[in-house]
Amino acid sequence: MGLMRTSIVLVLSSAALLALAPSCNKKKAPDTTAGSAGSAVAETGSAGSAMAPTPPPAPPPAAAGPTDPQIAAIVVAANQVDIDAGNLAIKKTKNPEVKKFAELMVTDHTAVNKGAVELVTKLKVTPEESDASKGLTAGGADNRAKLEKLDGAAFDKAYVDNEVAYHKAVINVLTTQLIPSAQNAELKSTLVGVKPAFDAHLEHAEKLQATLEGGGSGATMGSGHKM
Amino acid sequence: MVVLLAVAACGSKKPAPKILHVEIQGMKYSPDALAVAVGDTVEWTNNDLVPHSVTSSTFDSKAIAPHATWSYVAKTPGDFAYNCTFHPVMVAAIIVR
Repeated sequence: MGLMRTSIVLVLSSAALLALAPSCNKKKAPDTTAGSAGSAVAETGSAGSAMAPTPPPAPPPAAAGPTDPQIAAIVVAANQVDIDAGNLAIKKTKNPEVKKFAELMVTDHTAVNKGAVELVTKLKVTPEESDASKGLTAGGADNRAKLEKLDGAAFDKAYVDNEVAYHKAVINVLTTQLIPSAQNAELKSTLVGVKPAFDAHLEHAEKLQATLEGGGSGATMGSGHKM
Repeated sequence: MVVLLAVAACGSKKPAPKILHVEIQGMKYSPDALAVAVGDTVEWTNNDLVPHSVTSSTFDSKAIAPHATWSYVAKTPGDFAYNCTFHPVMVAAIIVR
């Protein structure tokens, strides 16, 4: 269908967010103790006592996670990317449910950024750009440029598909990199506290995605507001 | 006689209205079911970084900003399910007796 879904997702989420996971890309050191060395000793029998024992391989250096100033910049960049995409969606979509979702993204991520900035100001932490935060910002700009070229249902699908992938990637990085790396207790607590909002956004986006894939054209989705 | 009147007076006395609290944190209302009496006040406090609402068929807080509170005095008995208009995953109820 030429929706460029996959490329948008990859540009925005994978390139920048996976850059935060250096340990995932490290090659595993060859295991010289259990397999080949073990069998060699068994085959040579008494010769084993004459051989110097093979020292265990040195553990790989601990992967350095982002610092608190870098985490602050990553959080701000991640939120701003979604605010910018949301503002574009508000301007372009004709689907009321997509527009409502985009408005929620702008409201919530603006609020999270406000809280994050207030916290780091209080903590006297100056956000520090890193490859990850720069990648997020660049990926967001690239994503918007691609979305700008789409209209109607193609735009809605590309935007919502990307929101699903984006929130999955952010939740993964938040859980595996940012929260474990945060040194300041209040910063760590804030990151933990904001995760449920991202989880809720993902669930909302996935439901919206399902309605779009089912041919939904904007009928009221999910639970009604009034009970 | 005096004793009987005193007992009757005690029996008809309504308990003083109470103020009960519901915390909004982590995209949840806690407690998510709360029994209250007519006349009691329920106060919701938003401890999340994002705005929420407390919305039912009979009351609607509109947006409650982060760190803000909103109160409602229970007026009529019944079960009142409510949710957050912004976040469909958030649902809870107050039971007014």
